[in-house]
Amino acid sequence: MARTLLGTRIREARRAKRLTQKDLARIAGISASYLNLIEHNRRGIAGKTLLSLANALEIDQSLLSEGSDRALVDRVKKAALSASHLKPETERTEEFTARYPGFARLVARLQDQQEQQQENFAALADQMHNDPFFAESIHLMLSNITAIHSTADILASMPDIPRDQSQRFLQNLLSESARLSETASDVLDHFEPSSDAQVASPDNAPFDTLLEQHHFYLEPLEQGRESVAEMVEKLAVPAALQIQTKASLQSYVDMATTLPIQPFLETAQAHHFDALSIASDMGVALPLVMFRLAHMPQAPDMPRFGLLQCDGSGAVLYRKQLPVFALPRFGGACPLWPIYRSASQPTQPIAAFIDLPSGERLFTLSYSYPTEVAQIGMPAQSESIMLFTADYALIDGLKSLPQLSVGMQCAVCPRQKCSARRSAYLLDK
Amino acid sequence: MSKSVAIIEDEPFIVEALTFLLERAGLTVRSFANGAGSIEFIQQVTPDLVILDIMLPNISGMEILENIRNNQGLKRLPVLMLTAKGQKRDRKAAIDAGVDLFMTKPFSNDELVASVLDLLDS
Repeated sequence: MARTLLGTRIREARRAKRLTQKDLARIAGISASYLNLIEHNRRGIAGKTLLSLANALEIDQSLLSEGSDRALVDRVKKAALSASHLKPETERTEEFTARYPGFARLVARLQDQQEQQQENFAALADQMHNDPFFAESIHLMLSNITAIHSTADILASMPDIPRDQSQRFLQNLLSESARLSETASDVLDHFEPSSDAQVASPDNAPFDTLLEQHHFYLEPLEQGRESVAEMVEKLAVPAALQIQTKASLQSYVDMATTLPIQPFLETAQAHHFDALSIASDMGVALPLVMFRLAHMPQAPDMPRFGLLQCDGSGAVLYRKQLPVFALPRFGGACPLWPIYRSASQPTQPIAAFIDLPSGERLFTLSYSYPTEVAQIGMPAQSESIMLFTADYALIDGLKSLPQLSVGMQCAVCPRQKCSARRSAYLLDK
Repeated sequence: MSKSVAIIEDEPFIVEALTFLLERAGLTVRSFANGAGSIEFIQQVTPDLVILDIMLPNISGMEILENIRNNQGLKRLPVLMLTAKGQKRDRKAAIDAGVDLFMTKPFSNDELVASVLDLLDS
């Protein structure tokens, strides 16, 4: 920190103690005229004199010494630079920080808050721009509004139209208004999913919607009653999403073909839904069994599983939520979730209980696996999945597992002393 | 003989309103709800103008527009694009691809009919 700041700080600290220059000089054992030069930044000080003044002012020497508030100065400077059109005196930032530390902290805090809000807005804008469900819904709503507007305009401006035609138009208005309400409700649900909503990744909306409608068990495909092509046609998938939708449905078919539901259920029940035993017994890869467990018909005596799949960056590839465990759509989940730990231990299954701030306990099984053949000198790309359920009483052999206290997202997590916290708890009073 | 308009639009109630308005203006109207096969449909009904949506099942209106402009027999066919995608970049892309008029939904009935008649006259 510049010498100017040090003298100014000493002066401010002296004034805060309501001491005259003469008093402070006497206590510190220096002359009043020398102190005057120091306070006006005409003399640099260090060592013994600095220590004497700090002792006389009853403050820590480090608070007076150079660099003690560098971070604060930088934050204030950043705030000044972000509003350069207001022509703040940036060259006097250090002096301002020393003279008015409380105001400086206020400016720095406002700057931090503004940055945080900008990040939030960017994340929200990104979600809205890249969310095919939202784009599709808005398009649908505009179509509904167009039909209503045009039809209503005809009825209002053309009183001479035949009665049967006007009756049809009225019926159209009724139907289209109902569709508009439905679409608007869907959009609202999309941004505020209810506790029961099981919304998967937004990048594959038609497939996700289909799964939700069928409670994540596509019986027509499982039973061979419908083909992938027939299902895509029935869904009226927009052209841009057809390839992805077909690929997702084909993956589902591949899973159902490799692990037909009836024999799988028998094996799963025999092993009390322990994924590792099932995989070993059936001779198939663990991730496939984990996916299968999350896509079974629902029954009271079977655990209901949710699933999260991420790529190496932690971006969500696929998700099936449970009412007690909502998964963030845009990322930013709790880094303590075992799925993220598994990424550092590829091919080693990690079983653990997680305790949520709500008091809910879930059993989780996480597994990270390479998605390409490793090349010399290059780590293989990998994906991670986490299977989870609150119905762990129906699963065998879970007595001596680690119990992890985790959250959902920092902003809504009340675990204040968490070492992994990266942003403030928004509900903190 | 009255002039004819082909509507390629997947929203049936919009089609019904448009059909009513254009027929009342003395035009013959044929409609088609699916993007795929629309070029064959246009060739079959030989309209004097096409009203085209952008977001359609199976194939986008932009691709249909490109196919129209690349088809020797349809090259000069007037095309009015009627879409909910009203952003500047959508408009520019449509104009660059050779659309004659770009209108966004929701539209004014009077303006739409007047624009169709203008395009047919020109």
